[in-house]
Amino acid sequence: MSTGDFVLAAMQISAGASGMAAALSYALTVLLLIVAFDYAFGWAERKVIAKIQARHGPTYVGRFGLLQNLADIIKLLSKEHAVPQKASSALFTLVMPLMLGLSIFLVLLVPFSPDLLGPDLGMGALVVFVLLSFMPLMAFVGGISSGNKFSSIGAQRSALMLMAYELPAMVVLASVGALAGSYGFLDIINAQALTNWFAFTMPLGFVVFFVAMLAELERPPFDMREADSELVAGWLTDVSAPYFGLALFVDYTRMFLGSLVMAILFLGGWAGPVLPPIAWLLLKAFAISFAIIIVRATTARMKLDRLLRLGWVALLPLAILNLIITFMIFMR
Amino acid sequence: MTISRINIGPVHPSTHGVLRLVADIDGDTVVGVEPHIGFLHRGVEKLVENRMYMQCPPYFEKLDYVAPMSYDEIYVAAVEQALGVELSERAAYSRTILLELQRIASHLLWLGTMSNDLGQFFGMFMWAFRDRDRVLRLLEEVSGARMFYVNMRLGGLVRDFQPGFDERALEVLGYVERRVKEYERFIEKNPVFIERMKNVGVLTKDMAIELGVTGPVLRGSGVDYDVRKDNPYYVYGKLNFKTQVRSECDCLSRYKVRVMEIRESIRLVREALRIMPEGSAVGMPTRLIIPAAKNRIVGVSREMPRGECFVYMVADPQRPYRLSIRAPSFANLAALGEMAKGCKTSDLFAILGSLDLVMGDVDR
Repeated sequence: MSTGDFVLAAMQISAGASGMAAALSYALTVLLLIVAFDYAFGWAERKVIAKIQARHGPTYVGRFGLLQNLADIIKLLSKEHAVPQKASSALFTLVMPLMLGLSIFLVLLVPFSPDLLGPDLGMGALVVFVLLSFMPLMAFVGGISSGNKFSSIGAQRSALMLMAYELPAMVVLASVGALAGSYGFLDIINAQALTNWFAFTMPLGFVVFFVAMLAELERPPFDMREADSELVAGWLTDVSAPYFGLALFVDYTRMFLGSLVMAILFLGGWAGPVLPPIAWLLLKAFAISFAIIIVRATTARMKLDRLLRLGWVALLPLAILNLIITFMIFMR
Repeated sequence: MTISRINIGPVHPSTHGVLRLVADIDGDTVVGVEPHIGFLHRGVEKLVENRMYMQCPPYFEKLDYVAPMSYDEIYVAAVEQALGVELSERAAYSRTILLELQRIASHLLWLGTMSNDLGQFFGMFMWAFRDRDRVLRLLEEVSGARMFYVNMRLGGLVRDFQPGFDERALEVLGYVERRVKEYERFIEKNPVFIERMKNVGVLTKDMAIELGVTGPVLRGSGVDYDVRKDNPYYVYGKLNFKTQVRSECDCLSRYKVRVMEIRESIRLVREALRIMPEGSAVGMPTRLIIPAAKNRIVGVSREMPRGECFVYMVADPQRPYRLSIRAPSFANLAALGEMAKGCKTSDLFAILGSLDLVMGDVDR
């Protein structure tokens, strides 16, 4: 698909005044969903990890510490935005809003329910994946431009990691596309119907994709770019409070996107009995986020060279094997 | 690629206090690392020259704030040797028990900080601290304090164990034993942990001896040396325990040595509690007027959680004339540069964690 097609497809929703209003209301709804998920996830992550670690987590602000994150947001946003002297100011200031915009835009491309759809690009999964790999590059620019050595090490790691996980994820995506006959989210959801989840048809692919996604989202054990016990805060070392808040928001939005994509590609998307479709999709996305939290709480951080080896020696062959098996069994 | 020099610390999440490292990094490979120390120097060796003998233990405890009891004990033991004070049998047993409990607490804390250094998000840290707290409560019961006990007196302890201490201690030991078994499974069955520690920070046997490292680091490099065994003090000679030695020489073997030492300490305390004689473990009052020292020059060597510590003292009648400490952490820190040469940036922190440094101990 060329860029022109893509722009055209994106403009379809904004054709005409009523289309414009619809697009706007869709965007607002999704934005609300993002904020709600990020907030809920931020709280759940703190609480779940606290429970695993035999702590309580936030308890003081609001019931069950529900308002703790709000307090943190207020704190982060009310602080001064400072640019370090060594930083290249324009890049340093621009990168974070750009990342934020990109992450929100990507969530807009994901369908939430038969009634809550963005533009159907026909190959949404592919587009999301290609654009998602821009994020580490932006983090790279952000880290390098801050002029801090820890940041630049984190940034280099972030960019290097791309090589490890991008390929296996793409190969698994290819087998999903082959099974569904399309890279469009709608086609993939329809192909899985109610119970024919791709997670069951190709469990190997699901596992590889989950691991690759952990790396793609730069969640532990693959959080080398932040690596708080090594690089202080990695690419965010010199970032001031408001931008740190933005970075958190971007990360959580990316988590949301990653969980949604996994839920759609492997867990049948919104298909499910009784509950409305959107509830099913969000439930599945939450289940995946929960798994990601558990992984964070229980494992150590990998090393960069080990991740590269894991990607090329384990994930990629497994992904190709998965592709071959898929072709042999389902594609006769 | 050009070599870039990064400054790590003195305020950094993984330096366990105020250690400053200057590392030369080529891409992701550490070319050289140079520790800068002295941020926590308090001049204890000089301070004690102006204090009465029994005013000094609190200063010593603050040297190693992770295992204060052992520093408390080594100083009092030095004074006892200088003044020729004899210990009752029960006092020797109770000191052994307390020292081993302190070792368990210290190794547990190390387990937590080590896995935090490896990037495990605080889980093991919290669990280890929770379990260490059970041990600390035992020590609190004995001494009245949770961290800085000041529990040693010439010839014994401040007060004897409370009635029922045995049962409570055994219960805690059972709990810690179960937990440690669980943690071992948690870490050793996790390929990421193993990968981060195996063949990382190799310190060969010859190099370990040459650099003079001590304690678990030395034993993790395959040298069978433990003061408790080779030069027994108190009742260690009567108790049945094995020196834990591993010859893989990497971070994993240092980890194993420490975990096995927790086990051995548990066994030691159990045995000591069983055969501890009746009597009194209470030492002399603090304000005792001390007659002239019997031995003017004394040296005491002890196996601390971090390694062998040696206190050299020239005694005056009322106060130390001169005192010098050979601290285990300081000796172990010397090996960092050797171990870190050629490792990856992430490994540097695994190695640092495996040394189990306490900066108070390094800087004194």
